[in-house]
Amino acid sequence: MLTYIARRLLTLIPMVIVISFLIYLGLELTPGDAVSHMVPPDARSMMDEERLQALRESLGLGKPFIVRYWIWITGVMQGEFGYSLAGGVPISKIFLDRLPATLELSFAALLISTVLGSILGTISALTRGSLTDQSLTVVGMLGVSIPEFFFGLVAILVFALNLNWFPVGGRILPGYDSFWDRLPHLVMPAMVLSIMMTAGVMRYARSSMLDALSRDFIRTARSKGMPEWRVNILHGFRVALTPVIVLIGFRLPVLIGGSVIIEQVFQWPGIGKEFVSAVRSQDYPLVMMVALFSVLAVLIASLIVDLLTAIIDPRVRLGE
Amino acid sequence: MANEVALTVNGLKTYIYTNNRCNRALDGVSFEIRQGKTLCIVGESGCGKSVTADSIMQLLPTLSRIEDGEITYHGPDGPVRIDQLPRDGAKMRAIRGKEIAMIFQDPMTALNPVYSIGFQIKEMLKYHTGLGRSDRHSKAIDLLRSMGIPLPEKRVNEYPHLYSGGMRQRAMIAIAMSCNPRILIADEPTTALDVTIQAQIFELMDTLKRDHGTAIMLITHDMGVVAELADDVAVMYMGNIVEAGPVGKVLRNPVHPYTRALLESIPVLGRGKDQEIKAIPGQTPDPYNRPKGCQFADRCAYRIGACDQMPDETQVAPDHRVTCWRYEEFAADAAE
Amino acid sequence: MTDANATRPRTRRDAQFDKIRDREAALAGTRQHTARFMSKFLNNRLAVVGFVIFAVICLMSLFAPLIAQHDPMSPNLRAIAKPPSAEHWFGTDKTGRDVFARVLYGGRVSILVGLGSALLSAIIGVIIGVYSGYVGGWLDWIAMRISEIFMSFPQIILVLLLVAILGQSLLNLIVIFTLTGWGGIYRMARARMLSIREEEYVQALRSFGLGPARIAYKHMLPNALGPIMVNITLSTAAFILQEAGLSFLGLGVPLSIPTWGNILNAAQDLRVLEQNWWIWLPVGATISLFVLSVNFIGDGLRDATDPSQQG
Repeated sequence: MLTYIARRLLTLIPMVIVISFLIYLGLELTPGDAVSHMVPPDARSMMDEERLQALRESLGLGKPFIVRYWIWITGVMQGEFGYSLAGGVPISKIFLDRLPATLELSFAALLISTVLGSILGTISALTRGSLTDQSLTVVGMLGVSIPEFFFGLVAILVFALNLNWFPVGGRILPGYDSFWDRLPHLVMPAMVLSIMMTAGVMRYARSSMLDALSRDFIRTARSKGMPEWRVNILHGFRVALTPVIVLIGFRLPVLIGGSVIIEQVFQWPGIGKEFVSAVRSQDYPLVMMVALFSVLAVLIASLIVDLLTAIIDPRVRLGE
Repeated sequence: MANEVALTVNGLKTYIYTNNRCNRALDGVSFEIRQGKTLCIVGESGCGKSVTADSIMQLLPTLSRIEDGEITYHGPDGPVRIDQLPRDGAKMRAIRGKEIAMIFQDPMTALNPVYSIGFQIKEMLKYHTGLGRSDRHSKAIDLLRSMGIPLPEKRVNEYPHLYSGGMRQRAMIAIAMSCNPRILIADEPTTALDVTIQAQIFELMDTLKRDHGTAIMLITHDMGVVAELADDVAVMYMGNIVEAGPVGKVLRNPVHPYTRALLESIPVLGRGKDQEIKAIPGQTPDPYNRPKGCQFADRCAYRIGACDQMPDETQVAPDHRVTCWRYEEFAADAAE
Repeated sequence: MTDANATRPRTRRDAQFDKIRDREAALAGTRQHTARFMSKFLNNRLAVVGFVIFAVICLMSLFAPLIAQHDPMSPNLRAIAKPPSAEHWFGTDKTGRDVFARVLYGGRVSILVGLGSALLSAIIGVIIGVYSGYVGGWLDWIAMRISEIFMSFPQIILVLLLVAILGQSLLNLIVIFTLTGWGGIYRMARARMLSIREEEYVQALRSFGLGPARIAYKHMLPNALGPIMVNITLSTAAFILQEAGLSFLGLGVPLSIPTWGNILNAAQDLRVLEQNWWIWLPVGATISLFVLSVNFIGDGLRDATDPSQQG
């Protein structure tokens, strides 16, 4: 198991290197030089041209590309992400401020869609061909077809503006910052963000469950005279679970992508919203850093999924 | 006890409805299984052998049903009409596994890959015996040992993918035999195994039959297996039993052209390479587009006009029956 | 009908079975064979409905100049934010432009972006995937690594990153979608080719001395077309959703060109959201309906081309 984890980690490293390399290339090619995103703008405005030049030297701008990359990447690894062009805030500070909000929203949506999606998909598979199954299939189709932000707009109109059940947007009101105070703010964005993923998980859980139920060992389990629920859940669902978890891992990027738009719709103060305004104002250092970390998030998520499947499936766990 | 009937099937019709079509998979099948005896059901793939087993176990696919006929299990508490029990009701489940157990063709896929062998045996014990947790564990080990699996204490916690094909089938038999069923249905239990392993599995089954008086229904397409193991044999073709009787009579004096053709299509060891092997001409008909009368007529060398009607079952001898218009000629031929 | 079923409650399914059995009995012997693909596709009611909706929306967008009474771009200061009327079916927006005309004309651009990007990325993905899947070698290795890099980004982040670098324009958007979208179809085509490669007829063709390109494109590709078609429909749906999302953020097609997403952009204003529902609700519904129809078609195609999905 340990060697499996180690080997899996090793395969990630070249990927991370190549992508960080590309990101740095992007940074170099976009307008603004290294000084502008590695030195606080306040400090820079105090310097004269000579000192700037000296600084450029010390940052390695005269050195070959690969050396400059090395200086940059070692900085990043020590938490020096550079400075945002807008206002000269350190990017690490933006991350610290915004990341909790994004993680909160994504985890809530992930939880909802995983639980709801697999339950509905399983029900759909178990009642195959029935009215329940057919309506769930159509609902699932609607879920993957309607744009999330459109759902969000309708939800704001109905539940916030007309019914007044939930706030229109935002995350925290000044003075109210416990989780229970925040919860009403979280409900709508998390639900809306989870819709498309729930529908996807449901469709996949259905077919994975149908596949598991058609296997021979289900017949064996039934031939033992066990109750139907045990056959379906312990034998069917347990086997159908592995591919569903893999799918959820694959879909995680979609969830991250979705949060970019949903944060905008609900004015949720997360990384996604920050990213959109960075793209608008062509704040390249921030754009690149968010991109780099979103890739890291995806890679780590895929690693976690691999480990989870290894825990769940004895063939992976024990097979070497 | 030797000739006590364990299960009677009478005029069983099972139709399968997939893709909006109707496949008349079983069209009036009758036979009985006796305690301590082996009944072999022989036939080509798709003839309805497995559907027969699934009907008895009520393990048919959702899109199918028993249309007509009776399946009666003669249990210790008197006869039970299996075909009238709800598929997954408590009564059917009490019979399934405990009274009638089943082993399947491919042990590779018939065992759940994510549970240990021990778990899959103990699961059966949990539902059909009052044994406690630790008793179930030791019983599982005993069962594996009696099936000839080495190091059962260790092996009981292992997963199916660590077992070899033959060992998997032994484990499968251990599951099936764990509650001492009165009837064991084996659906081509050795097709997926090596020839040498096949012999071991059959030997094991034969021992079980002798030691426990289990009635065995063995489904196979291999006439060699029939000659070796069967007490009774039923030959199936396209959803009908065309000929049935004690193994000696059916193999020695076959009176149905299909049985004869089957026997002629097997090479016999030691008869050299000059022996005449006759393949059966043509192919099995499309199950959705069956011939009108006798299902075998299109491939039969002895076809006559009457074959457009389905012949009735006739007794050649008290324990030997056949479904053919011209059986008398074959019977006479065989008597010569 | 028999005592066998007497004790078991009859279900909806039993009635269905009886119907099939009786029909079979009546039809015995007279079988007509329609083309399997067409009949399966037509049997899928949702796919047919999807195709009709798809065709209607496409045709209406295509013939927008004939249908729309108003110019989608010209503001009308006397009719600002008016609710739907006989004159303006979907009302007018905040500068007095006819929303119905904008939805029709917007459809042209949105469908062009969606379908165009899907086709372009399919062409690139299939050309590379088919060849590298069959031949393998260094080309395969490189293409695989590149697609891995592309696919480790969350798609929308990569798209926005490229928008930030390349700038906003209709052409750039199609280029960006194609760049970010080819990887999926490439992997699919490659995987199909890897499995087809093992089939015997390919061995036979090789023994005839045919060149690899000819075998790959002429003989193997047709057998992979089914899943490719499905993939094209599904990525069309995905691109239309993405275009709408990006334009909603104001980062897709420049706001001066009407597209479905750009029309929706107005709904970011809470006042419009609450008081002028006609500006954003019809166009949101149109996007949803169109994507839904494309997904229905995709599902129907999948069922019709995939022999393993029966029942």
